[in-house]
Amino acid sequence: MSLILDHVNYIYGEDTPLAVKALDDICLTIPDGQFVGVIGHTGSGKSTLMQHLNGLVKASSGHIYFNGEDIYDRDFDMKKLRSRVGLVFQYPEHQLFEIDVFSDVCFGPKNLGLSKREAELRAYDALRKVGLPDELFYQSPFELSGGQKRRVAIAGVLAMKPDVLILDEPTAGLDPKGRDEILHQIKNLQAETGMTILLVSHSMEDVAEYVERIIVMNKGSVMYDDIPKQVFSHYKELEEVGLAAPQVTYILHELKKRGLDVDINATTIEEAADTVEKALKVSC
Amino acid sequence: MGIIKTQEVVFEYIRRDEEGNVEGITTAVDHVNLDIKQGQFIAILGHNGSGKSTLAKHINAILTPTEGTVWVGGMDTSKEEKVWDIRQTAGMVFQNPDNQIIGQVVEEDVGFGPENIGIPTKEIWERVEESLKAVGMYAFRKYSPNKLSGGQKQRVSIAGVFAMHPKCIVLDEPTAMLDPNGRREVIRAVRGLNQVEGVTVILITHYMEEIIHADRAFVMDKGRIAMEGTPREIFSQVEKLQELRLDVPQVTLLAHELQKRGIALPNGILTTQELADQLVPLGKRGN
Repeated sequence: MSLILDHVNYIYGEDTPLAVKALDDICLTIPDGQFVGVIGHTGSGKSTLMQHLNGLVKASSGHIYFNGEDIYDRDFDMKKLRSRVGLVFQYPEHQLFEIDVFSDVCFGPKNLGLSKREAELRAYDALRKVGLPDELFYQSPFELSGGQKRRVAIAGVLAMKPDVLILDEPTAGLDPKGRDEILHQIKNLQAETGMTILLVSHSMEDVAEYVERIIVMNKGSVMYDDIPKQVFSHYKELEEVGLAAPQVTYILHELKKRGLDVDINATTIEEAADTVEKALKVSC
Repeated sequence: MGIIKTQEVVFEYIRRDEEGNVEGITTAVDHVNLDIKQGQFIAILGHNGSGKSTLAKHINAILTPTEGTVWVGGMDTSKEEKVWDIRQTAGMVFQNPDNQIIGQVVEEDVGFGPENIGIPTKEIWERVEESLKAVGMYAFRKYSPNKLSGGQKQRVSIAGVFAMHPKCIVLDEPTAMLDPNGRREVIRAVRGLNQVEGVTVILITHYMEEIIHADRAFVMDKGRIAMEGTPREIFSQVEKLQELRLDVPQVTLLAHELQKRGIALPNGILTTQELADQLVPLGKRGN
């Protein structure tokens, strides 16, 4: 069970004068149960890449294998793929439409052809997983706060019980607490269900804190693909392509430069505090 | 009186059910008093639903208060005949640049506002040039906005507002949709307008690092001003901010974490430089 991309290319407006190469020879393997962060500046091809993974966009050339099956095979069941690979778009709350929260989350599983009872069970389960309080289930989704709406939208995809969950900037526009809550719940979800998660984000701090592997996209190709520490050690190169490292990286580099013996590879506040504390103790 | 002044401002939304019967009233802004001086850089923080955008919309008369008064450049926003003058005094930039750009070419988009208020053609060109230079987008004046990155588009939106020569610009989460580079570009442009051109800036944001240079910051909660002070004063209160669903810059958070572990650091450290200045001597003491 995994996703494999084999030399995937995608060209917008192929065979026209306006052709733009959006994905350039992408080869990736995403094993089961991994929590992967995808970063890249606006227009680097990360959203296009995500849209390939559930077959919304078809590659110009190359192959994508889901659990060993080529998704471009004529007898491959695309509908099944879309129920297995769930995609939460940017600003997913714009897609809420039902009269109450519960019906909105039921919509997906019902469309899979499940019985009303099964759909409702799944909806309930999904809403619990994203941490939405019970008393909001029968409210109109439009009366909720930004963070709550976002959670309902994510629950709508979770209720489809996907094996792979792709989140395209799930925290854009949320306040810091809402950001932490949603990311926490996603992390718990992954630990509980073993679901594969791909998180597209512009926040380096969030990515550093939560994911185990980072894929950096630049100009349609994979620039780095490694654990966060390794990726952020290239912070100069990341800046050149419009990205950055988490702020702690800069702090630690500055301290190191000025003679404090800290470990510059720490990427979270916790790790940074540990290494600074240690450096101070040693020299005292 | 400052350029923007609000006195006991209250704004209520009336919630209605499907038949139009009143279900209840939500108070989005609750007795807010502000006095903002010409040339200041003001930051407004607050969690989702705290009322900061609603308050911002009062500043250029998109909304008018249920109770209390808002004055913009001395004009009462509830006086309908003043609305156009008020909107020229206080311009507004929103979150999504794609909703604010209408021109096919960058310079045409920036010229749209001044043209609408009947500025002579020659002066329009001068303003377009000056505005695009102020945000660092002059080199892109002949481009189609569609070909620009998010940060570049947002800077074009800001230039479009600046071309109206407002005394004040209100930016409602202008960087929420941008990548780190775009965020940096936009904040640099905004600081430039404030420091070089003397425009009063009111910046609403969820990114704590963006406001460390502000003159004053207000934190909103449940429609009220919950905290107010310089960024340093505000960020000294890490726990209180976290209670209000907010955060502090990572540098401040790291300093706070080190304090908790018994390392002697002052409150409210805002930049990498400051933290290094404090830590380096501590490390060298024992040598």
